[in-house]
Amino acid sequence: MIADTVRSLARLLLPGLLLIAVTVAPSPTFAQTQQVVVLTSFPKELFDAYKAGFERAHAGWRMEVVPKPTSAAITHVRERAARPDVDVFWASAVDAFIFLKSNNMLERYTLPADLRRGIPDQVAGFPVNDADGFFHGFAVSGYGIMWNRTYLTRYRLPAPKEWEDLIRPEYLGHLVISAPSRSGTTHLTVETILQGYGWQRGWELLLRMGGSMGAITERSFGVPEAVIAGQYGIGIVIDFFGLSAIASGQPVDFVYPSVTSIVPANVAIIRNAPNPEGARRFINYLLSDDGQRLLFRPEIARLPVRTALYREAPRGMPNPFTMKAGVQFNADLSASRYQVTNRMFDQIITFRHAELRRAWEAIYRAERAVEAARAAGRDMTETERMLTQARASASYVHVSERMAAEVSGVMERDAAYRSAKEREWGEVARASYVRAAQLAAAAEEAARRR
Amino acid sequence: MNVTAARTGGPSPLEVELRDLHRRFGDTAAVRDLTLTIGPGEFFTFLGPSGCGKTTTLRMIAGLLLPDAGEILFDGRPVTTTPPWRRDIGMVFQNYALWPHMTVFENVGFGLVERRVPRDELRRRVDDALRLVGLEGLEHRLPSQLSGGQQQRVALARAIVVRPRLLLLDEPLSNLDARLRVQMRAELVTLQRHLGITTIYVTHDQEEALMLSTRIAVLHQGRLVQLGTPRDLYEHPADVFVADFLGGANFLPGTVRGRTGDALVVALDAGNGVATAELHASASRHTEFEAGDRVTVCVRPEALELVPDRGPAGPNLLRGRLRLVNYLGAVMSSEVELPEGRVLRVQVVRPPTDMPLVEGAPVALRVAPEAVLLLRPPASP
Amino acid sequence: MRIGIPGQAVAPAPPGVGWRAVIDPGHAVLGLLLLAILAVFVVWPIAAVLGAALVEPDGGVTLAHLARFFENPLYIESLANSLRAGAWVVAIGTVLALPLAFLVARYDFRGRTLVTTLSTLPLVLPPFVGAIALTQVFGRAGTLTLLVQDLFGIHVNLMDGLRGVIVAQALHFFPFIFLTVAAALMNVDRSLEEMGQTMGAHGWRLLRRVIFPLVLPAYAAGALLTFVKAVDDIGTPFILNVKNMLGPQAYLRITTVGRDDVDGYVICVVMVAISIACVGASNWIVARREYATLQTGARASGLPTRLVGWGAIGALSLCVLVLGASLLPHLAVIVMSFSRVWSLTYLPSAYTLGHYAEIFLRAPRFIVNTLTYSIAAALLGVVIAAATAYLLQRGRVPGKAVLDAVAMMPIALPGVVIGVGFLRVFYPMTLPGTETSLASTGAIFVLAYMVRRLPYALRASHAALHQVHGTLEDAAAVAGAPRTRAFRRVVLPLILGGVTAGGVLIFITSAVEFSTTITLVSRIEQSPLSYAIYIYSQSPLGRGAAAALGVVAIVIVAVGTYLANRLSGRSRMAFTL
Repeated sequence: MIADTVRSLARLLLPGLLLIAVTVAPSPTFAQTQQVVVLTSFPKELFDAYKAGFERAHAGWRMEVVPKPTSAAITHVRERAARPDVDVFWASAVDAFIFLKSNNMLERYTLPADLRRGIPDQVAGFPVNDADGFFHGFAVSGYGIMWNRTYLTRYRLPAPKEWEDLIRPEYLGHLVISAPSRSGTTHLTVETILQGYGWQRGWELLLRMGGSMGAITERSFGVPEAVIAGQYGIGIVIDFFGLSAIASGQPVDFVYPSVTSIVPANVAIIRNAPNPEGARRFINYLLSDDGQRLLFRPEIARLPVRTALYREAPRGMPNPFTMKAGVQFNADLSASRYQVTNRMFDQIITFRHAELRRAWEAIYRAERAVEAARAAGRDMTETERMLTQARASASYVHVSERMAAEVSGVMERDAAYRSAKEREWGEVARASYVRAAQLAAAAEEAARRR
Repeated sequence: MNVTAARTGGPSPLEVELRDLHRRFGDTAAVRDLTLTIGPGEFFTFLGPSGCGKTTTLRMIAGLLLPDAGEILFDGRPVTTTPPWRRDIGMVFQNYALWPHMTVFENVGFGLVERRVPRDELRRRVDDALRLVGLEGLEHRLPSQLSGGQQQRVALARAIVVRPRLLLLDEPLSNLDARLRVQMRAELVTLQRHLGITTIYVTHDQEEALMLSTRIAVLHQGRLVQLGTPRDLYEHPADVFVADFLGGANFLPGTVRGRTGDALVVALDAGNGVATAELHASASRHTEFEAGDRVTVCVRPEALELVPDRGPAGPNLLRGRLRLVNYLGAVMSSEVELPEGRVLRVQVVRPPTDMPLVEGAPVALRVAPEAVLLLRPPASP
Repeated sequence: MRIGIPGQAVAPAPPGVGWRAVIDPGHAVLGLLLLAILAVFVVWPIAAVLGAALVEPDGGVTLAHLARFFENPLYIESLANSLRAGAWVVAIGTVLALPLAFLVARYDFRGRTLVTTLSTLPLVLPPFVGAIALTQVFGRAGTLTLLVQDLFGIHVNLMDGLRGVIVAQALHFFPFIFLTVAAALMNVDRSLEEMGQTMGAHGWRLLRRVIFPLVLPAYAAGALLTFVKAVDDIGTPFILNVKNMLGPQAYLRITTVGRDDVDGYVICVVMVAISIACVGASNWIVARREYATLQTGARASGLPTRLVGWGAIGALSLCVLVLGASLLPHLAVIVMSFSRVWSLTYLPSAYTLGHYAEIFLRAPRFIVNTLTYSIAAALLGVVIAAATAYLLQRGRVPGKAVLDAVAMMPIALPGVVIGVGFLRVFYPMTLPGTETSLASTGAIFVLAYMVRRLPYALRASHAALHQVHGTLEDAAAVAGAPRTRAFRRVVLPLILGGVTAGGVLIFITSAVEFSTTITLVSRIEQSPLSYAIYIYSQSPLGRGAAAALGVVAIVIVAVGTYLANRLSGRSRMAFTL
């Protein structure tokens, strides 16, 4: 009787169990040697193309992809350091690779000589590969400005060319950027501006842009997405977002400002990877001519590190190796104040965005009122002085470059100090912006007063 | 195990023996101390009000329920734990339990399929069974397309088609209307006599039980109260419960005064403790009583004779007033209120014509000593 | 649990009969098997989550971690946001659902059946798919936003942050309230109402004094369940990039901080507490409301009042307004799945079939995975649910209440919590003989989906089995069919429809499951459709393909719903839990 019950239950459960077996089967278990597992922060268009290409080039090999945002990807590697389940780390942000390298989670890999040939050591002054051979650049990217043509027409706005253009009053509320603390590429853009214009002027520029931002997105792709959909007009993005959108026929344009920097996106082998052979094959494929050509695909639109290929580049694709980057990007300087830059941006721009925007809105309104009053022949000197004060207050940089260098190290080590500093910066910023808004309001009132 | 026997040749009727059967549900004992033997070919009835344990007993005999203790034997072999499908029985359920997704033919043939009866034989036997219950031509109907009576017949055909050695019927007629019930009752008797199968019947309807059964077991609160032929039970009920449940009766408390010749003299209690009337009962039938014993006098309504309230007072004559008169043609039933306030039910086949039968009229009731039954009073007052 | 012979002195029993009268060995084996399955896949993961949050390393119970939750401003904000969003979803859902329910239940007008059918359509659109589409309708550059801006010069972005989550969820969940209230209204005995009228209650007073009290319990239960589902749904916040809510925070802690992060588990515990409180309250209300439906005597099933002329037009236009709003996401998803360029225009300016080519030809894996996981989950779930329901209704075993409680437990467990529990329990285990973690095989999805939706299947099986009187099985046993044959020949054919309907419910809800999926998924090769929608939506040009997958999801759910309703022979209500 018991046997009956068990037997018939087993018979009923069988189809489900069989299907479970099917779902287990395609997992790597049964073909341990013939695969490579790639952990990546890249979007689907990119890793899909490489998956197809790699599997075509290496018959019998399979490429599995674990897609995660960079921060989650680092956690993934860290948690499984004792028994890694991925072979390759594949992402943009150099900082992530430096972190993994310094925590001993990457495997050194020396490229075969024939692959090494044809890849320059530097792009616009930035090293393409890790000097110790732990990670390798496979594509380079520059940063620039992307805008939606329909949007600019609809709101009758001119197209920008340079970072300074973005502080025009008419752009108020039409810009979009992502927070550098969330997006490695935006951090590089911010650092480029800071290095290109200098610490003080760079922050003033960023604060004025910040006042015009309609939104500060959490994710880097949120910027191109918003521009493509026409939610905002002008976005600060890494080049391939702009180039791929143009290639897919969206009504957008992209420009590299003269102050730009060009940095590589990287690939590395995880230490104790379960499939080291697969990992090597993947990197070799990525850097081969075939692999590099995939970057030219319109939906990917990235710039290869293999310079010879630029002869085949599609129209409109720039060659970064011949470009004169306005900034010789100093990676060591960037790394040394990484914490300060990101936390400062968060404290004085991202988290104080509302106050900052109100301040600049008031200033622009006051400027128009003053303009009108001056056109009416009135003497505006006094009011002008108030406005200058307002502008200074709304772009007040509390932390000097020297101070940043000093606190950076301590901030990384000491959480209490860090949060104390953050609170201080945030408070000062808020107070300055509120004062700026009051001054501007007073100036406007004075200008309108008869 | 008896599948082979069932298939080949006619089944020999089964003897069923229950020994000390116990079954409780939670805290209530549904059946206790049940011991009895049902002879081969008997039409045996478990009778009792709902909750008396009769259906529980039947389900234990069927193997659908295991007893907590005790044994069930078929032809002397213990089958207590044998599952129902190996007991070789047929059963009709109170709600018929026809399988709604099967046609009449499939319903009836189900048990034969389980017994791996060849197709040809299966068809023949199903046809036979359907003919026996008068349902030819309805093979392809679904149960939902049948009337209640037809469904009942399908259930019966399904039970007998496997030629069981024991047929169990669980209140099979209770869901039918009155006219159909009477008709089916007669058919059931004929069928059972024709097949000769040992049959166990469960009902709460004393009329059915009396008419159908060779013997009846009256159950009350899980206990066997009395076992006997219908006539035994009616004429010699073991206690007030049986007497009341079978046919109904008037009950009067009293005390045995003594013996007068062949008569046992009982004084009926009056409301205030003073004896108002005396009844003589047959002393030879009631040897167990002595002077001074408390008794309950039991008189069937039809044993009382309505006489004019004239003549002298005497034994077995009770005076009272007519309280209610229901003239039903062949019989007249009425109630007579005794002086101390008790009410007796009276059923008269031919109402006397020499007295006014109006409510409130003084009347006398006469009862023959043979018709006076003395019972032990119920244990608790 | 009492096994054995009653204490009284009785005649010596044959050995073994005593306990077998109470316990059927076959049932006991089946019950233990089911309990074992449920213990591993339901109790263990949840216990693991609770343990991680409430137990110290030395084994003592602690509330310290939980206390820290209430000191962290981010968590407090997340909790507040989740509760606020849930409350708003219920509020907006009520405003949309109640008038519609009253109209449909009380009045007859042209198009009434159409309205009833259409009103269930939002349920076939997973809320996170709706969220993608709604940004194209109500977002900053959405069709209606632009229309309003061009007509009136006002710019309103409905899809901004938490507001967007609320809009998307409200449009998805309002049918839950509509269906429960409409059903309750139709159940209200008209004679009660007439009684009210004869006693002098008219119009508003009648509504307030007679009808509201009768319908209120159903409404409250529906609203509570809607609230739970809204709090449980993390797909919509994710697609709209709202992170400051409980579900997303739990997920983010576990994935970015790590599986050993206590805070993640503490958030899970808070979510479970909210969920249990609401489900408990809802069950309590439903149990108490029996009085409303108990008086079933001869129901005066008077036809609804017929509306004609202006009344009919008014009713219909209200319906069109509400349903129009709730069907917008469907339209938008479909349009989006064909759009190539849709930038600051009312409708796309260039169309393509490329998104469908992408999901069917280039990456068909997601659909295949979804079908495989969901069908496997449905098959397993159906068998387990049917066996459980059978034991609960017919079984001769002790401990049924435990089995019932465990099997129904997932209904009060948020998807993220199930996912997190599965990760914690199964991640450290490997497939025998390999290095592959159990949690990174496809089977983990099957099991998680099965567990998550088991209560649906269990209810369906219960209802189906309830229709099959126990004597049908007895009759088969007596007729010579051993128990398993009796089950196969009699019980199974009779419950098959209802049980299959339960399976279809598992299938469709699993096919669009997001919360558990995103927690468990690692390799893109194993990803089902719902996670693929998320992945596509994470690249600036991927929303078209995401929408195309969304259309596939809609089709799967719509077909499944139709089948489930056909099979169960009941209308719509199969959906309302």
